[in-house]
Amino acid sequence: MMNDPRSPPALLKRLCVRVTGLGDDTVQPLFQQALRTLASDLSVQAEADEFQMAEKIKRKLARQGREKDAAVISELHRKLQSQGVLKNRWSCLSLLLCLSDNTSKHRPLPGSHIFASSRGQYATSTPMTHRAGPQQTPAVGGSTIQSGMSTGSSGISSIHSGRSGDPTPVPQSFAPSHLSGTALGQTPYTAGRPTLGQRLALSLNRGGQQSSTSVVPRGSKSVTIASTHRDGEDNVSYEIPEAVLLREMVYVLQGIDGQLIKWDINNAGYRIDDKAGIARAVRQKVTKLAECGWLYTKIRKYADARSSDKAFGLVGQSFCAALHQELTEYYRLIAVLEAQLQQEHDQGVGMGPGGLTLRQLSVWTFDPLSRLKALAALVDVCKGKKGGALATVIHSYLQHGDPFMRALVKHTLTLVAQPIFGIVLRWLHDGELEDTYHEFFVASDPTVKDERLWHDKYSLRKSMIPSFLNMDQARKILLTGKSINFLRQLCQDRTQIKRRDVVRAAETTEAASMFTQDLDGKFQAMIDTVYEETSRHLLEILHTKYKLMDHLKALRRYLLLGQGDFIRHLMDLLEEDLAKPAGTLYLHNLTGVLETAVRATNAQYDDADILKRLDVRLLEVSPGDTGWDVFSLDYHVDGPIRTVFTPECMIMYLRVFNFLWRAKRMEYILAGVWKGQMSNARMFRSLPELAPLLHQCQVICSEMVHFVQQVQYYINFEVLECSWDELLQKVKEAKDLDHIIAAHQVFLDNIITRCLLDEQSRAILTQLRTIFDLIIQFQEIQDRLYQAADDELTARHRAEERAHARSEKGEWGLTDSDEQTEERRKAEFLRNIPSMRAQVRVLAQSYQDMVQKFLLMLAGHADVSLRFLSFRLDFNEYYKAKEPKLRSPLTYQRSKRRT
Amino acid sequence: MAGDNGKQVSTARETMDTLLEISNLLNTGLDAETLAICVSLCESGVNPEALATVIQELRRESAALKETDSSGGQSKQS
Repeated sequence: MMNDPRSPPALLKRLCVRVTGLGDDTVQPLFQQALRTLASDLSVQAEADEFQMAEKIKRKLARQGREKDAAVISELHRKLQSQGVLKNRWSCLSLLLCLSDNTSKHRPLPGSHIFASSRGQYATSTPMTHRAGPQQTPAVGGSTIQSGMSTGSSGISSIHSGRSGDPTPVPQSFAPSHLSGTALGQTPYTAGRPTLGQRLALSLNRGGQQSSTSVVPRGSKSVTIASTHRDGEDNVSYEIPEAVLLREMVYVLQGIDGQLIKWDINNAGYRIDDKAGIARAVRQKVTKLAECGWLYTKIRKYADARSSDKAFGLVGQSFCAALHQELTEYYRLIAVLEAQLQQEHDQGVGMGPGGLTLRQLSVWTFDPLSRLKALAALVDVCKGKKGGALATVIHSYLQHGDPFMRALVKHTLTLVAQPIFGIVLRWLHDGELEDTYHEFFVASDPTVKDERLWHDKYSLRKSMIPSFLNMDQARKILLTGKSINFLRQLCQDRTQIKRRDVVRAAETTEAASMFTQDLDGKFQAMIDTVYEETSRHLLEILHTKYKLMDHLKALRRYLLLGQGDFIRHLMDLLEEDLAKPAGTLYLHNLTGVLETAVRATNAQYDDADILKRLDVRLLEVSPGDTGWDVFSLDYHVDGPIRTVFTPECMIMYLRVFNFLWRAKRMEYILAGVWKGQMSNARMFRSLPELAPLLHQCQVICSEMVHFVQQVQYYINFEVLECSWDELLQKVKEAKDLDHIIAAHQVFLDNIITRCLLDEQSRAILTQLRTIFDLIIQFQEIQDRLYQAADDELTARHRAEERAHARSEKGEWGLTDSDEQTEERRKAEFLRNIPSMRAQVRVLAQSYQDMVQKFLLMLAGHADVSLRFLSFRLDFNEYYKAKEPKLRSPLTYQRSKRRT
Repeated sequence: MAGDNGKQVSTARETMDTLLEISNLLNTGLDAETLAICVSLCESGVNPEALATVIQELRRESAALKETDSSGGQSKQS
């Protein structure tokens, strides 16, 4: 093998000899080494492309500013190509490129040369002797060595001179041999190592770009990079190596200031020290990575601030806990990074090609960065919110297209919703509200007394309703808890809700069920079941124990004049009493009368408890009032029923009673008048002068009777019965107490509107009152008339009798004086008649005016049934004929416009 | 034949010259003979980068030896 001068080993030997200028023997170990090197690395490099090589050369030259030379090189390259002698042009070019600028260092590290260290230790496998081969005679070798040495020395000196311009202080060898050298120092020489090392260096060299990577050798604290292709490209004499930057990054990622990268308060960001020698691209990379640290700081600050804030509430605390969890994950990553850095630091190059670089760091932090960004966005949005509002905000972030983000937000939301869920469960099942931080959407007002428990004590805090619970659910939850509390406190009822198993079956224990409601309706089912069961229980108690229906019916019977016979009898008994002025009435008298009435009618068969509650109440006395104006019945309610029949309701009842009582009184009066008319008609037949007057009275009376009858009909049937029916229906169907209360309220409101008792109808009511007053006046006039007529009649009778008696006795029936008195009296009577007639006529006229006006107002009222009343009142269009305005079509249109 | 040979030789020399020029432009520090050896080695299929490494090492070694020799004051001739 060695005999052939052209064989590669021989060539290699010659090369060694030439380059080193040493003798044949001295060069032996070197030769062996070189042989090994070459033999081990047999794989062809990726760029067997000659064109690439040429381009690389040209680029290199261009970077050095030697464009002319680049042009020359291209010339030469073309010439080479045309000559076609060389087969592996690319390899030659590659070789030349590698050797270009002669980058071997002139100051070797002590003891770290592969060849130096291997000298003498090295055991050759093939025995080599001094006398190598015939191709190299010592003389030739010597001369070659000499020349080699000289050239070598000149070469070296030129190398030296070349490198003196290099401003790098302690330059360290970047050659792979160095790496393998250190390895060699420790371990026996293995084939793989230098290859790796070589490949590392060569791959970095080949890139031809500025590489800012360096490996800090063990134990060395120097901070320079020596990169192979660097001279004069960047002013990086004080370049900061990547390892330092990496270390700083590790600190920055945790939010701690490094030496170079500090927190800048003005910009609230991380700033790299301007004076540090970091290239701009590197700066950008570092800044981008520092964003992670910025986000981290932000989240940490928020979490810490909130954790220590005592008033933040459970929801907020869970949010902080979720954040902490995420941050712990982040810590893990940083710990791994730090470990790797440390490991590299310890071992030199690290696990693979490239070790830990800034680029790798940015890849590894990409995922955590997006997580941190999401969390920081949440933190921003959640500032200043707590409780349900916080949950709402986080829930709105759940609508994200990216499943990764969605999962993250969902996890956070689950944690955050946990306390809310706990409170909801507790409230639903036990009615207890443990909400020290006011973050639940049910607010309890501790100042409210038991009576108003249902209405006022618990309310919805709308701002705290999370967005994944709609208003309906929130109300149901509120209602259920309220019912439980109501039962406990007012009804003293602690019995378990029956059908507990049904409730339990529907239970769900996951907080997540609250906001996955579009996926499954477990939460809704749970709320519904509990709500139904609780309400049903409550209503049962109310109906059975507290006899809600009975009281309702009793109110109808007594306060709303449902029990006709009782009311009639009462009125009969009270008539004379109430005619007296109001100040003279005594309550106990009236109560006694009430008792009598009760006992005498069907009311006595009513429940004793109910009768007990019935009472008389005297309203405030204004001067000029008669008993009629101040009398009122009253009904006492107590206990849980007061929730339905609140004091306001009772007042409304009393107002309605007043109205109904008055109307009833009118009816009563007119009935009396009519009775009188009927009975006295026969009697007064003998007074023919009275006939027209009587006729007039009768006419008016029948008008009034018709009017009052219609009004009464209207009140009783259109208003009371219909509303009552509705109320009964609703109460039967009611699912919970709120429904009952609402239905009752609606009932009362309806009655009040239709009985003209509300604010808008005040004018009409006054009108009606005036009509009623007229009726009373009429009654008085009528009474007076009858009185007078009666007196006259009796007088006449007496006169006649006297005449008769006297004529029987044989005397003149009528003496002159008698006759004269008779005549005088008759004349007086007759004279009175016209005035009375006039009175009646005036009354009639005013009555009709009033009624017409009343009709007009009714026609314009908003309520349909009132309009219908006006229609019924004027059924035969009697008033329409008289009142031109009623005739106009505008009357009914006015109402249409209003509605 | 001889002409061919001659032509071959001349082209070969031209090639070598070209290569030498390139090498000088790139400042590799290789002289003609070393370059010739290297080219032959490359032609036989040696990995050029490995070869480059070897040459660099050799140079370094020789420089080291030179130093030690010069510091030692004695230059050993083998």
